[in-house]
Order: sequence, then C-alpha cells, then structure tokens
Amino acid sequence: MKRSRRASFVLIVGLAALLFIVIVPFYWIFSSSIKIPQEIIARTPTLIPQSFSLQHYDKLMNSSQFPVYLRNSTLVALATMGITLLLCTPAAYALYRMRLPGRQTLFRIILITYAFPGILLLIPLYFMLSSLRLIDTLYALVIVNVTFAAPFAVWLLQAFFQTIPAEIEESAALDGANRLQILLRIIIPLTAPGLASVAIFAFITSWTEYMFSSVLIISEQHRTVPVGLAGIVGQYQVDWGLLLAGASVTTLPVLVLFALVGRYFIAGLTAGAVKS
Amino acid sequence: MFGLSRRTLVGYLYVAPLMLWLALTIAYPLLSTVVLSLQDIRIIGTEGSFVGLDQYRAIFASDTFWSSAGRSLIWVLGNGLVQTLAAFIAALLLREAFPGVRIARVWIILSWIVPTVVVVIIWRWMLSASGGIVNYALVSLGVAERPIGFFSTSTSAFASVVLINAWRMFPFMTVIMLAGLMRIPEELYESAAVDGANAWQKFWYITLPGLQPVLFVIGLLGTLISFNTFDVIWLLTGGGPAGGTTTLPVLIYDTAFKQYRLSRAAAMSVVTGVLLLVFALTFIRLMSPRTDAQEAAL
Repeated sequence: MKRSRRASFVLIVGLAALLFIVIVPFYWIFSSSIKIPQEIIARTPTLIPQSFSLQHYDKLMNSSQFPVYLRNSTLVALATMGITLLLCTPAAYALYRMRLPGRQTLFRIILITYAFPGILLLIPLYFMLSSLRLIDTLYALVIVNVTFAAPFAVWLLQAFFQTIPAEIEESAALDGANRLQILLRIIIPLTAPGLASVAIFAFITSWTEYMFSSVLIISEQHRTVPVGLAGIVGQYQVDWGLLLAGASVTTLPVLVLFALVGRYFIAGLTAGAVKS
Repeated sequence: MFGLSRRTLVGYLYVAPLMLWLALTIAYPLLSTVVLSLQDIRIIGTEGSFVGLDQYRAIFASDTFWSSAGRSLIWVLGNGLVQTLAAFIAALLLREAFPGVRIARVWIILSWIVPTVVVVIIWRWMLSASGGIVNYALVSLGVAERPIGFFSTSTSAFASVVLINAWRMFPFMTVIMLAGLMRIPEELYESAAVDGANAWQKFWYITLPGLQPVLFVIGLLGTLISFNTFDVIWLLTGGGPAGGTTTLPVLIYDTAFKQYRLSRAAAMSVVTGVLLLVFALTFIRLMSPRTDAQEAAL
C-alpha cells in the first residue's frame, strides 16, 4: 500500500523520536567516557567530544578492582550458559518433539517458573545456599542464574524445535538411529541458531544479575560487575569518568553477543509469545 | 513397565534434570519460606525459635507493609500504562516497511538487554542536578528556572523511576506487540477500507481484537515482571526519599538485609506470593482469550 505524504511524514518523525529515545542515552555515556574530566563536568555539555582521552579506561583497567569483577562475571556467565544448555536442550527436545504424556502440564510448570518473581526466592535461596556453605562463592551465583535463565530458554527453543519436519527424524529412526543419536546428529545441528540464542540469553541473564549477587557475595574478590559498579555509584564523590567507562565496558559484550544472534533471539521470543 | 513405553521413559528422562533443578531451586525454597516465616531468625547462622504467626501479625499491623503494597500497585499500574502506550506506538511504527526496518525490529530491544546497573548509571548521569544534560536542556529552553532534583521528593522520585523503568522495559513489550500486529491479516484492513471504515474504526474493530491474545500475555507477564522490579529502584533511590519509592520487593530486601529481620522478610514474601497468586488467577479467569491459543501451542 502506498503511503500518503502525511503518513510518511508522521512515520519519519515517529521513527526519529524512537531512535532518539532508544539510542541517544547510550551515545551520551559512550561519548562522555572518552572526554577529559573537565569536559565531563563542564557547565555546557558538549554533544560531540572536544577532547579525547582514554584515561578513565586506563584507570578502570589498571588501578581499580574492575578486572576482578570482569573475570568473576565472565566465569559465572559461561558456567550459567553451559548448564542452561545441558538442562534445556534435552528437555525442549522431549517437550516439543516427543509426544510425551503430560507434556502440557510440564510446559505450564515451566511457564509459571518463568513468570515467577525472583524476589520471593531471595530469602529462602539465601538460607539454602548458606546451609550448603556456598555463600560468597561463584557457584551460588551460577545456581541462581541457571534457575532464572532455564524456563525462558525452554520457551525460546519452542519455535526452533517445532519447525523441524517429522520425516527427518522418522527416516533417521528407520536407519536405526536411537533417540540420543537423533538428538545429537540431527536435531542439534538443525536448531543451532536456537541453541546459540539460548546460550547468549543465559549469558546475558547472568551478566546483568544484581539482586542475588549483592547478598550472596560478601568479599571484594568475588564481586561481579553489576555489584562492583553499583558500589562506585553509591560513593559519596562519584567519579563519573570512571563510572561511564565502566558502564561502556559492561555494555560492550552484550552488544557483541546480541549482534551475533539478536535476529534469532527476537524470532524465538515472538514465536513463543504469540503461540503461548 | 507400568504400561509406559521405553520411548516415553526416555522422554521423561530428558525432562527430569530440568524439573529436578527447578524443584530444588524454586519449589523447595518456597516451602522453606513458610517454615522460616514461623520463626524469629534475624541474621543468618543464628538459631531461631518457633513463634507461630507472630511475624504475620506484625506485618498485618504495620503501616509500612500496606503502604508499600499500595506503592507496588501504583508502580505496576503506572508502568503498565506507560509501557503499553509506548510499546503500542513503537510497534505501529515498526510494522511499516522502511529501509533498515529489519535491523530496527531487532535492535529496538537494546535497553532491555543491557545490565540494569548500566541503565541506572545512564539516568543518574543524565538526570543529575549538577551538570546533567536533561537539566541543562530544561534550563536553557526556559522550561525550568533552576535544575530539578528529580530524586529529591517522593513524588518526583517515584515518577522518575517509573519512567526510567518503562524506558528499560517497553522494547520488550514492543517486540511482543509487533508480533501480534503482524499476525493480523492485511486483507481485514483492505476490506474494511472498501466498506468505508475510518482509521479509528479499523483500530477499534480489527487491531484491538486482533491483539487480544498478545495483550493477555503482556498483561500477565508484564505485571509480574514489573512487580518484581528491584534493582532499578534500589540503585536509583534505595527506596527513598522518606520511603517514597519503597515497593514490596524493596521492602523485603531492606527488611532482610539492612534491618536484619530474615524471618519477618520471609513472612512478607509469603503474603506477597499469596497476593500475586490471587492476582494471576483472577486475571487468567477474567481476561483469558477465547481462542484456544494455549491448546494450539502444543
């Protein structure tokens, strides 16, 4: 359908506003993080940096605890990713590809756990992990993050598993392949984009988690990035340059990972939402 | 064995690890919350004694709990309103075809996927009363006489946090809403145009009913996700000023880990859980779409 001139105008203005709302805040922290301190706090903000300096990044990486936080966050996120994939791939296969009796009930249970408010689990999980002597360890964070990533991961996989034609599996079964072989040799390669988006979803979930990390971790050397950065936010004299550099470095991996699988992630998200 | 085929057993075996994991980290902790709430443990590692329903009596008698519950309600409604509206407009824009639309439909979600702490840093920085760009713009445009302390009064802090959280969340809603819009067949609009329907009639009789299943998902999930918001509020205001942004999640956290009353916080969690359950069941009962979308899913 051809758009009228007025409709085109409204569309362009609307899209410009949307772009502005979504992107400009990010531009503003990135561009400010490379300014010298005097320019950051200048009375008249400069939309385009007038100075260029990596001093905040230098301070962040060489004379703050940030590299320690980065290491911890990365370890926790990678472990969360691995365990989520190991738990969810076979579960999704059984739920979506095998006519399992009671699969509707199982699917509903998973949906409920997805919408389940994490705050209600904060105190009991804190007790449980404390009695397992896991407080102040990265293991505690991995356990919690998998719990919050897994239900959504199963949901995301739905779209990818349901598009595989049944004949492929049937002919593999006729050739004498068993379930595990079918899963490993046929289903996993065919659903690779889905598995990649689940992996990255798990990574991002873990990478951004703040609430549980703030109570489960006590010592400085086990802190993750969100809690470490929040510590700098809370200081009396905020070092904005350092903080903006920290925020930029924290955002970067998310951007890179999302650039790789964002398309599939959105596809899985929308298929799940529209169907269920 | 018991009439189950080998194939079915293998299927259950594949689902079992996940179910076991969720049982151990969600179902079991939930039950243990109830046990904790009947004791008087203040900090971890100390022995508590059984106090029956004392914690519940204290909660029901406390103004703090109910005013926080009220704030949570306003929080959920405010977020729902702003996010649904923003998401709907954004989804209508992104439904159109324009150069770069495929990229826009993916990257719209940017603010939802970055860590909350980054969102907090962005807005603390932009809204700062000393040198923040928003205040600079407001003052130089003559909208405000002097820089506004967005987080300095209860009302403005609450409104600011709602808007910031909506900024973070609306892209998620947009993506789901867009999927709903794309499912409405184009022919419906075309035949309505032939019948002489105006834009408003098309919206009211085609778009809105077509969106109903998606609005159901957004209403239920969106409310629960909004309700659960903790870190944005905590990191922006710490629940202040004067408790003005203390919603139930903030109160539970504060009670447990700042005031060191773990059992009290456990009891609050139980009451909160019951309130949410009542909401969810009522919502499902009243709003469930008549289509059997759920059955079609599997």
